[in-house]
Amino acid sequence: MKDIAALALDVAASSGAAYADCRVVQRGIQALTVKDGSFAEVSSFEDEGMGIRAIVDGAWGFASVDRLDGDSLKRAARDACRIARASARLRRQAVRLAPAPVAVGRYATPMERDPFEVSLEEKMDLLIRADEAMASVRGVTTHEASLEFVREHRFFASSEGSEVEQVIVESGGGIDATATSADEVQTRSFPNSFGRHQLCAGYEAIEAMDLAGSAERIGAEAVALLTAAPCPTGRLTLILDGTQAALQVHESCGHPTELDRVRGDEAAFAGTSFLTPDLVGRFRYGSEQVTITADATTPGGLGTYGWDDEGVAAQRTVLVDRGLFRAYMSSRETAADYGWSSSGAMRAESWNRIPLIRMTNVNLEPGGSSLEEMIATTEHGVYLETNRSWSIDDRRLNFQFGTQNGWEIRDGRRVRLVKNALYAGRTPEFWRSCDAVAGPSEWRVWGVVNCGKGQPGQIMHVGHGAAPCRFRGVAVTAAS
Amino acid sequence: MSLTPPDDLLALADSILERIGRDRAEVAVVELDQALTRFARNQIHQNVAERSRRVRLRLMGDEQVGVAEIRGDMENLPDRLIASAEAARRLAPPGDVTPLPRPDAGSDGPVAYPPATAECTPEWRAAQVSTVAAVSARAGLEAFGALQTSLTHTAIVNSLGVRRHAESTATSLVCVTRGESGWGYADRHHHDVEHLDAEGVAVEAVETCGRNQDAIAVEPGTYPVVLSPYAVADLVGHLADLGFSALARQEHRSFMRPGERLMSELVSIADDAGHPAAMPFPFDDEGVSTRSVSCIEEGVCRSFLHDSATALREDVPSTGHALPMPNTIGPWARHLVVAAGESSLDELVAGCGRGLYVTRFWYVRDVHPLRTVITGMTRDGTFLIEHGRLGRAVRDLRFTQSIVDALAEVRGVGRERSIEVDEDERALLVPALCSGSFTFTS
Repeated sequence: MKDIAALALDVAASSGAAYADCRVVQRGIQALTVKDGSFAEVSSFEDEGMGIRAIVDGAWGFASVDRLDGDSLKRAARDACRIARASARLRRQAVRLAPAPVAVGRYATPMERDPFEVSLEEKMDLLIRADEAMASVRGVTTHEASLEFVREHRFFASSEGSEVEQVIVESGGGIDATATSADEVQTRSFPNSFGRHQLCAGYEAIEAMDLAGSAERIGAEAVALLTAAPCPTGRLTLILDGTQAALQVHESCGHPTELDRVRGDEAAFAGTSFLTPDLVGRFRYGSEQVTITADATTPGGLGTYGWDDEGVAAQRTVLVDRGLFRAYMSSRETAADYGWSSSGAMRAESWNRIPLIRMTNVNLEPGGSSLEEMIATTEHGVYLETNRSWSIDDRRLNFQFGTQNGWEIRDGRRVRLVKNALYAGRTPEFWRSCDAVAGPSEWRVWGVVNCGKGQPGQIMHVGHGAAPCRFRGVAVTAAS
Repeated sequence: MSLTPPDDLLALADSILERIGRDRAEVAVVELDQALTRFARNQIHQNVAERSRRVRLRLMGDEQVGVAEIRGDMENLPDRLIASAEAARRLAPPGDVTPLPRPDAGSDGPVAYPPATAECTPEWRAAQVSTVAAVSARAGLEAFGALQTSLTHTAIVNSLGVRRHAESTATSLVCVTRGESGWGYADRHHHDVEHLDAEGVAVEAVETCGRNQDAIAVEPGTYPVVLSPYAVADLVGHLADLGFSALARQEHRSFMRPGERLMSELVSIADDAGHPAAMPFPFDDEGVSTRSVSCIEEGVCRSFLHDSATALREDVPSTGHALPMPNTIGPWARHLVVAAGESSLDELVAGCGRGLYVTRFWYVRDVHPLRTVITGMTRDGTFLIEHGRLGRAVRDLRFTQSIVDALAEVRGVGRERSIEVDEDERALLVPALCSGSFTFTS
């Protein structure tokens, strides 16, 4: 890998690049699925290639190739420089990069059991047991269990002398049970929706999920939802479970604190942000209960690594400090606009994509309450679990979320199961209404594996530490 | 741009098939040469290119299936691919393995492949973006967007004699423009760069942006609407996902009730991979010829899309809508065509009376799939319609609406159609339309 990168960087330099960086990536993905007892798929995906970024005449170019012979690498490096020159035709201000220390080193995801060393038989046995347990519940019409494992070996080198090598391993799994009636389709997922929960960890993360042991309960919950009452409507007290709190953080704090969105780099696709730079240090984003960090050192998080894809060291940034908006996630280029240093949040999906500012692990820091205390001190409200739908405007203000499961709370007790729950609001008003966050014992790191951004599109795996939390006076209703 | 010649790509697939020595296997090879120039604030800020090849092997036998895929020109690629797929197959539990399709005598045409698109350079893309930026700058606005060109070679062979190949191109130009207090939008998607019309895209976005300033608030509620083709594409794409697949019906989660009229008789929707304006492509990911399927005919639910797995369950032929098999997603619509109506856009607006005009939706997601309820925001140009004419810009609104119910209230359909490409890179040929009832919730 080092030789490949060195060759590409040499050619870029001789082709006029004032700066260049190169990533060589080898990635393996193993996916296993069992559905409805009769469908089974085991598949593997191997991926290898090189991507090179270059600044020529003050503008960026990027080229990538999956053939790692000398001629292909040289051609890609020259292409990156040619593309940069084309970019320079429509570039008024030259790209500036905030200074960053030269990085040299190696990082590997800590793990107890390498998932690629665990036999396929063991993995398939787990999925079959989980699938059968869901099938045993009368009324479940479709049921699916899946596992996914990722190993990515990547080498980064830059013309400034950085050279870092990282091996990132992810383990993910999940189950879904669906029950249908003439007018309802209800799905329950575990541990999270979107197919699976995933961590930067070994197979021990799968064992800790207890997919098979939870499968019958999940099936029963899906069936129960068919005949549940619709979620009540009104301005209610809202309690979110950790998974939904994680997605709420993702959409309404993670994305608007990406500094490239503020610059307008994503205006035509992912959108912009209501959090403009003049608000840093002055804007009341949430209540005193709300502290949100971007922490690329969180153990197990999908945004945990040694260095980002610009060679900037992993770090922890306080985005919101006891309700006050404090900082952004940034890159070397965007940070330079404001005289800041990069927060180390540049990440690329693979060798064939440029790094963009992406969430690392954007965490809602734990508070001092507990789920049971929140419920016990709620007069009338709902407790909502597991995301079902999500939508937010392009500035990340106006949102509406739906969840799979809900419980109506009366006088400090869960009184009945409710379905098709929706809640809506505006980001600052919502977070300012937060009056409780559960403590460290209920705080967990969740994985979001479907975060889309950029053109061409990139899907990023990001982490969110979160715990159950409570909000007052939220607009809640039922989908109908 | 240049890729491996078709005969060489087929030869690679054939050579892998021959080495397997098993009579149930499928090899798919997809080569991609793609470039994208992205711009913001009237400048190019990202500019990228990719060349890659994916080789995918599906291996079957003893009621087991294993799949392996490699992207990259790795040493001993065929051996690695075969070993991985065979290891997966041996350990997969026996189940309902869908048989490979047999050749169906379909032709490898029509396909979208104009040479001009395949020969685009970074300098040409920069020139097109410069045109967009110049139009925007002259109007005192800032342009943001992306220009993409791609060339794809696809070859699929299987051990039962399927042997398909196609070269295809695609190009897209998306532009939003920013003014003092509002935005405008325009896009063009086509397989031929000659139809891209960078100046036309910029002029349209600038014109919309110019009208979309100093927006006023309107109360949420139910309004008649005129939806531009950009907005219609979002509705129709989600509708297809929610119910056109035979798997959705088999799993009791489709809204479709065949033979029943659920929508206005002005609404007809087909999936037509052969339509010359809808990025035509001749076969699916199993190498089965893709047929035109009428899903909604004058408001009446008609037919479903099939892959080999859903077709086998119903003892009908596949319609050629497979994704790479096996999968849990099921058949997939890729070339949605909404029948044109007879109205001009002005006539649709005039027929709306008092309502709202929506340029574009944003972040549309399912809320209640069986009832086709979705939610999302309006974006980049929402306007009042008063006395049958476009009026003031209004602030963006959130809608929560059943697609079927909105299409049941269609009063008019535009006679002009445009090609859109949605988040899933699916082509849609869609007109503007007027619906008498559309609910905005905040």
